Amino acid sequence: MNWIGEGLGLLLPVLLSGGAGIWLVCSSFLEHIRVREKGTEEEKHVPGTGNKELHFLVGAVLVVSVFLAFAAVWPGAGERGLTLFYLMDDIPVYFRVDALGRLFTWITSVIWLAAGFYAFLYMEHEGEEKRFFGFYLLVYAVLLALYFAGNLITFYFFYELMTLTAMPLVLHSGSKEAIMAALKYLFYSMCGAYCALFAIYFLFRYCDTLTFTAGGTLNSAMAAGNSGILLLAVFLMLIGFGAKAGMFPLHSWLTAAHPAAPAPASAVLSAVIVKGGVLALIRTVYYIVGPDFIRGTWVQTAWMCLTLLTVFMGSMLAYREKLFKKRLAYSTVSQVSYILFGLSLLTPTGMTGALLHVIFHAGVKCALFLTAGIFIFRTGKTSADEYKGIGRKMPVVLWCYTFASLALIGIPPFNGFISKWYLAQGALQSGTGIFRMLGPVVLLLSALLTAGYLLPVTIKGFLPGEEPAQTEESEIPELPGGTETPLRTAPAHKSGKGAGKPDMMSAALLVLTVLTILTGLWPNPLIQYAAKIAAAVM
Amino acid sequence: MAFVQNFPFISILLSLFAGPVSSVLNGKAAKRLNLFVIAVIGAMSAAVLIFVLGTGQEYIYTMGHFPAPWGNEIRVGVLEAAMALFFCIIMLLCVTGGALERELEIEKTKQNLYYIMVNLLLCSLLALIYTNDLFTAYVFVEINTISACGLIMIRQTGRTFEAAVRYMIMSLLGSGLLLLGICFLYSLTGHLLMSNIREQTALLQTSGEYHIPLLVAICLMSVGIAIKSALYPFHTWLPDAYGYSTLSSAAILSSLVSKGYIFLLAKIFYRVIGFDIIRESKVINVLFVFGVAGMIMGSVNAIKENDINRMIAYSSVAQIGYIYMGFGLGTASGMIASIYHIVSHAATKSLLFVAASGLTDASAKSKNFFDLTGAGYRNKLAGAAFTVGSLSMVGFPMFSGFISKLLFAQAAMGNRHKIMITMIALAVSVILNAVYFMKTVIRIYTPEKKTVVIDKGFQEISFWEQPAKSIALACFIVLNVFLGLFSEPVIGLIEQGLEMF
Amino acid sequence: MNAYMMVIAVLLPMFGGVLIPVLPFRKKNITALYIELLVLITSALTFGLVLNPPAEAFVLFRFTGQLSISLKLDAAGSIFAVILAFLWPFATLYSFEYMKHEGRERVFFMFYVLTYGVTLGIAMAEDIVTMYFFYEMLTMVTLPLVLHTLTREAVLASRTYLYYSLGGAAFAFIGMIFILVYGSTSNFTPGGVLDAAALGDKADLLLFVYVLCFCGFSVKAAMCPFCAWLPKAGVAPTPVTALLHAVAVVKAGAFATMRITYFSFGTEFLRGTWAQNLVMALTIFTILYGCSRALKETHFKRRLAWSTVSNLSYILFGIVLMTPLGLAGAFSHMLCHALMKICSFFCAGAVIYKTGRIYIHQLDGLGRKMPKVFVIFTIASMALMGVPGLCGFVSKWNLAKGAVAGGNPLAYAGLGAILISALLTAIYMLTIVVRAFFPGKDFDYGTLGDVEDPNWMMMLPLCVFVIAMFVIGLHPQFLTEAVRRAAEAVFTLI
Repeated sequence: MNWIGEGLGLLLPVLLSGGAGIWLVCSSFLEHIRVREKGTEEEKHVPGTGNKELHFLVGAVLVVSVFLAFAAVWPGAGERGLTLFYLMDDIPVYFRVDALGRLFTWITSVIWLAAGFYAFLYMEHEGEEKRFFGFYLLVYAVLLALYFAGNLITFYFFYELMTLTAMPLVLHSGSKEAIMAALKYLFYSMCGAYCALFAIYFLFRYCDTLTFTAGGTLNSAMAAGNSGILLLAVFLMLIGFGAKAGMFPLHSWLTAAHPAAPAPASAVLSAVIVKGGVLALIRTVYYIVGPDFIRGTWVQTAWMCLTLLTVFMGSMLAYREKLFKKRLAYSTVSQVSYILFGLSLLTPTGMTGALLHVIFHAGVKCALFLTAGIFIFRTGKTSADEYKGIGRKMPVVLWCYTFASLALIGIPPFNGFISKWYLAQGALQSGTGIFRMLGPVVLLLSALLTAGYLLPVTIKGFLPGEEPAQTEESEIPELPGGTETPLRTAPAHKSGKGAGKPDMMSAALLVLTVLTILTGLWPNPLIQYAAKIAAAVM
Repeated sequence: MAFVQNFPFISILLSLFAGPVSSVLNGKAAKRLNLFVIAVIGAMSAAVLIFVLGTGQEYIYTMGHFPAPWGNEIRVGVLEAAMALFFCIIMLLCVTGGALERELEIEKTKQNLYYIMVNLLLCSLLALIYTNDLFTAYVFVEINTISACGLIMIRQTGRTFEAAVRYMIMSLLGSGLLLLGICFLYSLTGHLLMSNIREQTALLQTSGEYHIPLLVAICLMSVGIAIKSALYPFHTWLPDAYGYSTLSSAAILSSLVSKGYIFLLAKIFYRVIGFDIIRESKVINVLFVFGVAGMIMGSVNAIKENDINRMIAYSSVAQIGYIYMGFGLGTASGMIASIYHIVSHAATKSLLFVAASGLTDASAKSKNFFDLTGAGYRNKLAGAAFTVGSLSMVGFPMFSGFISKLLFAQAAMGNRHKIMITMIALAVSVILNAVYFMKTVIRIYTPEKKTVVIDKGFQEISFWEQPAKSIALACFIVLNVFLGLFSEPVIGLIEQGLEMF
Repeated sequence: MNAYMMVIAVLLPMFGGVLIPVLPFRKKNITALYIELLVLITSALTFGLVLNPPAEAFVLFRFTGQLSISLKLDAAGSIFAVILAFLWPFATLYSFEYMKHEGRERVFFMFYVLTYGVTLGIAMAEDIVTMYFFYEMLTMVTLPLVLHTLTREAVLASRTYLYYSLGGAAFAFIGMIFILVYGSTSNFTPGGVLDAAALGDKADLLLFVYVLCFCGFSVKAAMCPFCAWLPKAGVAPTPVTALLHAVAVVKAGAFATMRITYFSFGTEFLRGTWAQNLVMALTIFTILYGCSRALKETHFKRRLAWSTVSNLSYILFGIVLMTPLGLAGAFSHMLCHALMKICSFFCAGAVIYKTGRIYIHQLDGLGRKMPKVFVIFTIASMALMGVPGLCGFVSKWNLAKGAVAGGNPLAYAGLGAILISALLTAIYMLTIVVRAFFPGKDFDYGTLGDVEDPNWMMMLPLCVFVIAMFVIGLHPQFLTEAVRRAAEAVFTLI
């Protein structure tokens, strides 16, 4: 009975959220067809707009699923595993929760809740809410399954599903650019997935089992004569899963897709879905291949080079970028590669830092994107230079933004400092030659750049200088560059609500900011938790 | 001596005398006589075949009971009887199938002339098949040439005159060379009877004397017959001669006349010189090369043609290339394959000619390739027959062409230097065959626009509109399928016959 | 089952098919019923045969002493036969509806049903001669199907098809002759029939012949550089492109190459030779070439056809790995690709039937008008890409297992090529899907007119195929088990 209970515990959140998602997607789809059949008269009524019942339903499902998910990953629960069915000869689709999966479940659930409630209001001006929330729930279900996955095949299965189900979030607006961005996202992800699949084929052959085991399962006897091709395969896998995490050279989808999506979607994409790639790398490197196999090889060197390059390049590009959301997307590219750098060190400290940065970056980046969403929602302006004086209209939002920025830069006592500290420590402790020094230097440089691209918004927002009056207008401003890039033409919300009033969006942002500050002030439990995971796999 | 043994001689005489008799009859009667004669000879050949199979031994028939070297001999084995029977069948079907064209294309007063020629041709073919005397063979070669010229010329248009003259010149050149070769042999051995010459050449071979004169004789005879049977590159006379003459002439010429010569060549190789000597002489290598070249070039030329009859005629060049290639392999199995191909090609090519005429009939007599569009629907039987013939040509299983292709390929395995050349030549040739034959098949089954059909006056032709041709076509199809499906007895006959050679 | 049943299974559709144009039925429905029954009975017979394979062979006909047409069903043949027997009834059902707008239905169905018998003949051929015989026949009975529309384009396409096929058969013929002469028997024998000791210095020659023969048979399987005919043949009615040019004919080519590789020349003789590497390189090249061309293509059906070119070479690649795992991969891809490709072609056919649109840029927005068809198409696309949970992943997995196990660097490259091809597949298939569902913000659905999903005769096959894709994708054990057994049978019975 216990077994069934445990299995159900793992399945329930996935099924509930996924089922509700599928139902919403289907019903939205059917509504479209029905509208067509009824004729043009009713076509004006875009289905699924301004739907209180929908919000209630989605909210309820989300809360219950999150609750169930927490229950499922409650320490001690779900560790026995659940075999759903056999996908391959001897490879089951297999769920099992471990410390790492638990950590990711926590982060994702919190982010998902916050962004979800934020989206109720935000999505009113995007339309097609039913479809959006359908896929939103579906992606959550898939992510949970991804975290529960107990072996590589199951993991890959849901990894692909994650790619596919997240695509509609990107192309939500349906504009040509969004579609192109979505396709770019899809094809880069596919490219990455197939690179990884190449390695999985080899790992299946050369590993004892594909069940995730701390420290790796590579059969050293079999691998002995074939290390050349295996290293190549592992390198391809790093590139492949790195695509999802925005690592050079397959990073360019990220800066196209994240800004194109609606703000809540960009928030979860940047905060959580890129972490899917990170998780994939942790799972394969530390739980399948084993860090010992890679340590000291050309693969590790190449990996570190790539991550550092991405860190620096991402910050540089973010610094140069004017569009606010795109700037944040570049920032994601850079920040996620901090995590990857920590992983590539293959030391416990580095990995602890990486895991901490996973947690912190998720919260911070989500908060930043939500801020951007609020700015766009309220003002319709998309360029970072145009938010002059916005601090007067929306002080709370801007303060939240400021705290999140400081955290991302890594200024104590905010949480970003802690993860970066561990990352730098890890680099210095590792025996990786020149990277011992190069790593921290690049991280510092990038932190400076981060300050350079995030803080001007705060400064201009609070200290607009001489011409604050211009930004007071709440009408849709005529943007000079409107025709250049459609990202600039996001319409402002036209409902009569005044800006700056507390609403669901600010509340979600506030919650995240508070969490960020709290984790910065009392990080010890998290550090211990991450260190435990890191120690287990080394 | 059984009475049956007289049949070969009687059949030669019968056809020889049917000719002169025809000259005093009118066209219709001459035709009936001719058909009757062919049928009777066919029946007699069948009887002889059964007899020879029964005894399992060839026999020599001395005319007038004069023993060699004075008398003239006929030698009858399984192969000879079978060939005679087969030639009769083909000729009967060709003459039947082309009846309508003859009436239309040949002057009324000259109708009976045609049957003189056919009778003489049959006579000469039988003689070539049966005779055991080299000089007699030569005489009948000449008779054959002359009657063939008559067959070409009798449709009196400018092109046929030109073709006949060209044929005449080339043929005479060929027979001249053949005669020279015979003279050489005679002076070397002092005999004209084949079996006697054979004994002498064997002695010459062992003693090593007169090596070069013997070689020259072989070369002369081979080249002479090659010219006459249109081996590439001596084929230039062929397309015009086959393409423009009347239907039954074209069918008979392409399927029988050249085959008679080739059969003679086989006889010379086996019975006059001895196959071992031939193999050592390297002449076969030359034949092989020309044969392969013919297989390819004949088809390439056929692809370029837009006139369906000329296209089929060029295809004959390719098919004769096959036969010579089989000779050139220098193995017994190569020889079997070649002889089988003589049979198969005779059956197929005459079928194609008759079918093509059926198609052109349905296309207002136009032989132009483009006018044949949709002809397969207008004349269903001809369309089907043409398809069968084409499939046989490209070596489609179930039809005779496949078996000969198979035999050639298997024979090639016996000669290790020529395996791949033969194989690839076969494959390429099949592709080329497919290009022009199947192109035509697709064309005749692509429907033509209604307006064009009316403009050009195309008409539908049903089975009973041209009963003679239809029956001939049906028989040809059956023959082809029979040769394709039940080839074993035929091959058995050929094997047995070659052993008796 | 009795060996006679094999003959009936092969000959029933042939004779039944020939009868179709002369049937006295006036009503179309009764003719359709007759045809469907004919196909169903044949399929039932085939399934029966596969489940209880007769032990002995049946000699149908003898050409000459050693050359005979004889039938025998073994494990490898069973797999091909099952594919055919499963797909044919559904494809026929689909064709009834589809062919309404093409016309000349009786002639069409005559050849359509005839082809069934002939392909079964290939599946059940006991020896190389029989296979060659049915192989040639297949060219001929499918020619009228390609020609069916009788347009200029169709004529040109059918010519190309014919030249390629007959040319391929001509080269395959060479291989057949060598097997007849050098083999201990012409029957298909696991492990091959060549006696290595007897070959002596002819080994290189025979390898050359193997390459010729392989190329010859793989013309039907559209291996580069002999692939040009397949996209051109897309002018044929969709049931033909779907069933014949994605499944029956092309798989017959792959099946034939499998037969000569494993059952005639023998893997012992071929493995590790230059011949193996050469043909493997060719297949790898084709995998990439087909995809790239598909990417460039703007014609809906032709794009799918190029995709077939690439996918067929997956099968060929599995075959030339010459290991039990590789062969198992080839078998499973044979089966899975059949499902996926026929399904996507039928979707394309439904679109053509309903809207007459044949170019991809014309498909904008149709996802809302024909939701069922495009949802199914999306699933088929994902299967083709190899998304886990659908059958494409399973077959790719099996192929990969074979490629990785061999330890041949070229096989690794081939695996890489398969994955690159999968990426390209994702690109060329999903662009269609995205176009159909997300035509852009300002798309005017009014321009599409009144289009809707086709009726049950077209939908039923599609639904069945999708279900099959899921079943295989989620529960592939029975499939992997079957192909493994079939593949091992080839190796253990030596």
